[in-house]
Amino acid sequence: MRIKLNSIFVDNQDKALRFYTEVLGFKKSKEIPVGEFRWLTVVSPDGHADVELSLEPNANPVAKTYQEELFRQGIPLTAFEVDDIHAEYERLKKHGVAFTMEPTDAGQVFVAIFADTCGNLIQLYQPKP
Amino acid sequence: MPGYPPGPVHAAAHLKSRRYTQNHATAEPPSMLTHDALIRLCRARDRLRETEGRAPIADIAREAGLSPYHFIRQFAAVFGATPHQFRIDARIERAKHLLARGNHSVTDVCFEVGFESLGSFSDLFARRVGVPPSHYRRRWQVPSRVGTLPPALIPGCLLLMCGEAASAIFKKH
Repeated sequence: MRIKLNSIFVDNQDKALRFYTEVLGFKKSKEIPVGEFRWLTVVSPDGHADVELSLEPNANPVAKTYQEELFRQGIPLTAFEVDDIHAEYERLKKHGVAFTMEPTDAGQVFVAIFADTCGNLIQLYQPKP
Repeated sequence: MPGYPPGPVHAAAHLKSRRYTQNHATAEPPSMLTHDALIRLCRARDRLRETEGRAPIADIAREAGLSPYHFIRQFAAVFGATPHQFRIDARIERAKHLLARGNHSVTDVCFEVGFESLGSFSDLFARRVGVPPSHYRRRWQVPSRVGTLPPALIPGCLLLMCGEAASAIFKKH
């Protein structure tokens, strides 16, 4: 048993693909048409090439409620690890990304939180050596 | 709950973000959002989804405590669409939902989601969705029981991983 797939809900798959590849820097992995939507995944060039993140449509009202309530409460949907959180923060800010938390010392890690333009807050964390 | 590490960091996020104040004097909207600002943007998003008595964008900006300029910029940075685009998208989404349920005519749906002209609704719908509303209605219209979702409204990946469409795909191969 392995963890090789994680998924997040997005309000629009086209917009999500643009943000997750062009802004965050992930690469598209799979794009399989399924009805009105697609089985759409990205991978991280800096990470494990076989660990995929699925960008799932939030068309189901249950998904929308879950996503919007986490967002409203300021809670990130998931977290990505970075090597240099301050550099990423500056890089993403230049792309116009809105943060709800700047890089902050949280004990074992530095963390920051931004909006992914698809209805989620995402946490970045940098482990301390 | 998502997030790493769990628990305390989320609480810290709220405490920390409240310390920031927005600087209205600068030309650029602040890239750091307070939790209050986030809540105000969520409320603005809810307002933009309203189908009755649609408020002008300038009014919604005022309710969010921002100038229209800063409101549009900040909304787009957070939600990936301008308030105007978001409102149009929300109306089209609602139209798709109603059409797929199959209980309403295209004309009913057009007025229900707040369009005043059937022509402009059909044009816009066709441009965004790829097919005119009448085609969309025919394609997805299925008898739906109360409390169940038509297949068109269930995310594809859920169907892919479990559900009827998945079985169909597997049977096909």
